[in-house]
Amino acid sequence: MKKHLTVNSLVITVTMILAVPMVSRASESPKFRERETTLCKDVFDQNIYYEGVNQLDLGRWGRKIFRKEIPAANVNVFDEVPDSSFFTNRHGRRRLSNEELAKGSAETAGPDLSAPMKITKGKQQGLHPGFFIEDAKGDRYCLKFDNEGSLELATAAEVAASRFYHAIGYHVPQYTVLRFKAEDITIGENAYTYDDTGFRKKMTPEILEQYLSFLPVTEDGEYLASASKIVPGKNVGHLSFRSRRQNDPEDPVNHRDRREIRALSVFSAWLNNNDIRESNTLEMAVTENGKTVLKRYLFDFNSAFGAAAGGAKPPMFGHEYAIDYGEITKAVFALGFWEKPWQEKWRRAREMPHKSPAIGYFSNDQFDPEDHKAQLPYEAFRVLTNADGFWAAKIIASFTDEDIRTMVKAGRYSRPEDEDYLVQTLAERRDLIAKYWFSKAAPLDAFEVLNGKLVFKDLAVRHGFVDGNTIRYVAEVSRPGKKKKIAALESREPSLVLDPSWTAEGGKAELRIRVVCGEEESPYVKVVLGGAGVEGVRHED
Amino acid sequence: MTRKCRNIIRVALVAVGIAAFAGASFAQQDTYAPVYPNGPLKAKRLKDPVSSLLELPFRLVKWPVDKSLVYIDNHHVADKAIYIYDRMKEYGFTPHLAFTDSAILPLMGGNADLVAVARQKEDYPDLIATASLRYAMDNRFVVDSEIGAQRIGETGFHSSGTFNFDHRSREPFYGIGPDTSLGDSSSVRMETTTLGYNVGYEFSPTLDLTGTFEFKENQLKHRAHKGKGDMTEIFAGRDIPGLYGGEELSWKAVLLRDTRDSHDEATRGSYQKLTFKFTEGVDSGKARFFTYQLDTAKYFRLGSPRRVLAVRFFGEHHDEVNGGEIPFYDMTRLGGMGSSQRTSETFRAFTYNRFYGESALLFNIEYRYAIWEYRDFRMNAAVFLDEGQTFNEFSAFKFSDFRESYGVGFYVSHSKHTVLNISVAHGDEGTKFYVKNKVAF
Repeated sequence: MKKHLTVNSLVITVTMILAVPMVSRASESPKFRERETTLCKDVFDQNIYYEGVNQLDLGRWGRKIFRKEIPAANVNVFDEVPDSSFFTNRHGRRRLSNEELAKGSAETAGPDLSAPMKITKGKQQGLHPGFFIEDAKGDRYCLKFDNEGSLELATAAEVAASRFYHAIGYHVPQYTVLRFKAEDITIGENAYTYDDTGFRKKMTPEILEQYLSFLPVTEDGEYLASASKIVPGKNVGHLSFRSRRQNDPEDPVNHRDRREIRALSVFSAWLNNNDIRESNTLEMAVTENGKTVLKRYLFDFNSAFGAAAGGAKPPMFGHEYAIDYGEITKAVFALGFWEKPWQEKWRRAREMPHKSPAIGYFSNDQFDPEDHKAQLPYEAFRVLTNADGFWAAKIIASFTDEDIRTMVKAGRYSRPEDEDYLVQTLAERRDLIAKYWFSKAAPLDAFEVLNGKLVFKDLAVRHGFVDGNTIRYVAEVSRPGKKKKIAALESREPSLVLDPSWTAEGGKAELRIRVVCGEEESPYVKVVLGGAGVEGVRHED
Repeated sequence: MTRKCRNIIRVALVAVGIAAFAGASFAQQDTYAPVYPNGPLKAKRLKDPVSSLLELPFRLVKWPVDKSLVYIDNHHVADKAIYIYDRMKEYGFTPHLAFTDSAILPLMGGNADLVAVARQKEDYPDLIATASLRYAMDNRFVVDSEIGAQRIGETGFHSSGTFNFDHRSREPFYGIGPDTSLGDSSSVRMETTTLGYNVGYEFSPTLDLTGTFEFKENQLKHRAHKGKGDMTEIFAGRDIPGLYGGEELSWKAVLLRDTRDSHDEATRGSYQKLTFKFTEGVDSGKARFFTYQLDTAKYFRLGSPRRVLAVRFFGEHHDEVNGGEIPFYDMTRLGGMGSSQRTSETFRAFTYNRFYGESALLFNIEYRYAIWEYRDFRMNAAVFLDEGQTFNEFSAFKFSDFRESYGVGFYVSHSKHTVLNISVAHGDEGTKFYVKNKVAF
């Protein structure tokens, strides 16, 4: 008894010694320094600096020569990305209802127009004004508008795309479509603006009238805006797509190695949002349970679908980085006799965007899921592995045509033809992306042990990309960490018969399953089995 | 410790164990649980230490650049600069930045539109009253002004008076004719003052005929400097007309037709400039000669506006009249990029002013193709060949005197205005590099 007591006391003492500093650490909120970035800085860093110094990265060269990948560092034992301040599994984990998809992150129906909105700050870029306003409830919003001749193009794209990013799992501010009349907006006390001159000016009725005169109006004579609700917390700058915040205990992995950051390139390819960049992210410090934590947001989606700053998306967007050294080099050596895919597409389109100004320039002609590029060459997007791509494609494929329509509807397109076109284009692109990434990995998911069999779903078959009658599943069985094969399995059905002895008496077995179609064999997916069933899944990078 | 206390502790420990087990069971079932293959997440280095060390010097540059860019964006510096530039233009002042032909030196200055300065542009849109000043350190100083009117009486007539002062600290001179040596490197300091009167008629936006009467004073100073010898010493004993400058009067007619779709980035169209000029020395000046010049270029789209073949011919002949002479500074000159001052025509593998002669023939052929486009930015690559020679009399012309220059260039433009031209050309006298903000033709 005395011995037991001693052991118990020791356990308690050790626990207390360990726990006390943890408690004290937990109660101390880290101070987050502001990470500043802007478009110019992003362009310099990504297009010039890192493009240069990456060539001095010996490890990068080694990986290129020996075809090694950097596996994502934040995936769990089931090859999934657990919820975090960066990402919350939503539609990929549990199908969201139509109401949830339509609502997105919206908490309100948008600015309350029961009293005129008060402008607190204005901005103008070219003929493209925007306002920060406070509504009757005291909620603050940022209003952005379309360019002349492009009614609904940017505003609807921004609101609809925010629903997609939210349903996928990213944190986004609330975006709503707002229609208002001139009398619904007024100038708040101390309101100011930075106009085209770059100088700060007091917001005056004349300036407001001038701003409003640039805006396209609806047939009802209303102004159309996308209203994004200002997110709560203290703005501590932008999310790096490269490195972690060292003093943030919730941020233990460098962002380049986060799967959800890498996969932004895949999701943005789907939504044709080539403007995904660090300066379109936010890190907000909020207090939760008496502790300061960061919440990471994506924002500014008015370059999604066929939109871009200034109007329809320029034809090279999505096909080339802002400065694309690889494409430039190819073009130099081709002596002008190589027509780039985007040039061919643009020529076929008679150098005109879609006939509807609300669509801009968005089609799947020449869309290549492998080659689609964001505006800037983030290394995180380049190190995306097949497993990362499969994970993203799995989420994208989880959206049905109806889901897509529900989210597009949030953009409140006035012409049903525009809505139909976008739904069709996004559905086609969803299939192109899913088909591509499902071909780069073993497209198997939802592993379960049932009645002595390992059953799973073949997503490529399920989505109709592959004929289930033409494929078979082969597996090599070994002990985890051992190379020696203890059995080989084969099946024409998405299930494999297991030998109970492999997992008897606490034993574990590792199955490397591949999909074979004719002579072609897919990369493997590793499934670890134990007494409790499936204990681990990992797709080959 | 009492038995009661011990029991409480035991119960607590059992509860903790059950909770831990329940958590583990949950983790096995919840495929999204934060259970990682190698325990809690840990940061790994983005790079190995050696690569980080290699990057270090560049990081020292990145920091101030990043800070500056953030400052520029946050303080709307670019907007302010554009606004100030536009306002200056509105008030009649336009800053000017180019590069000298003789060296990669910035040629800075500005133009003043005096009508705009006097806020009379709206009332007198056709009135011309300009003054400009350009300066390149230790190289050039230029003052220009023009007073006149265009579209006189709402016709195509235009008329103006001009004044020009041009100081060139180092005008290179290597001798006259095709058989000169780069080793005979000399230079002259030259100041010219020109007063002129122009009258012309613009038949259409693409066709113009202008007549000019001009008085020009040429002052020369000879001295050796910066690796170049004194011209009077290096060419001592040789007949170099105009060695000590002089004053001249000239009468000139220029017919210009220009149908290019853009001056800097033409993809179709052509220009032809035909010049006849008579020059005569005043006082004791011996200059007396005719000048005939044809400068023409055509731009061919090769199936696409992204592929353009640009072909240029330049021919000039000076013909002495009644025993007069042609001063060397009035002769045709070849060499350099020829992009800004046009005193020495485009012959890129050779240095500026490399060839002087009474006559010259020059062919430039350039294949330009787009290699990068981003919104209104564009970069063309160009492969070019220049073939030219200077000679004195036609009887002395020999095909074998043609010299070659070939090379490549990269032209960056914004909204069809060239902002950067980086070219490299090679010929039998070596390789020349250029950084300019204009294209050759």
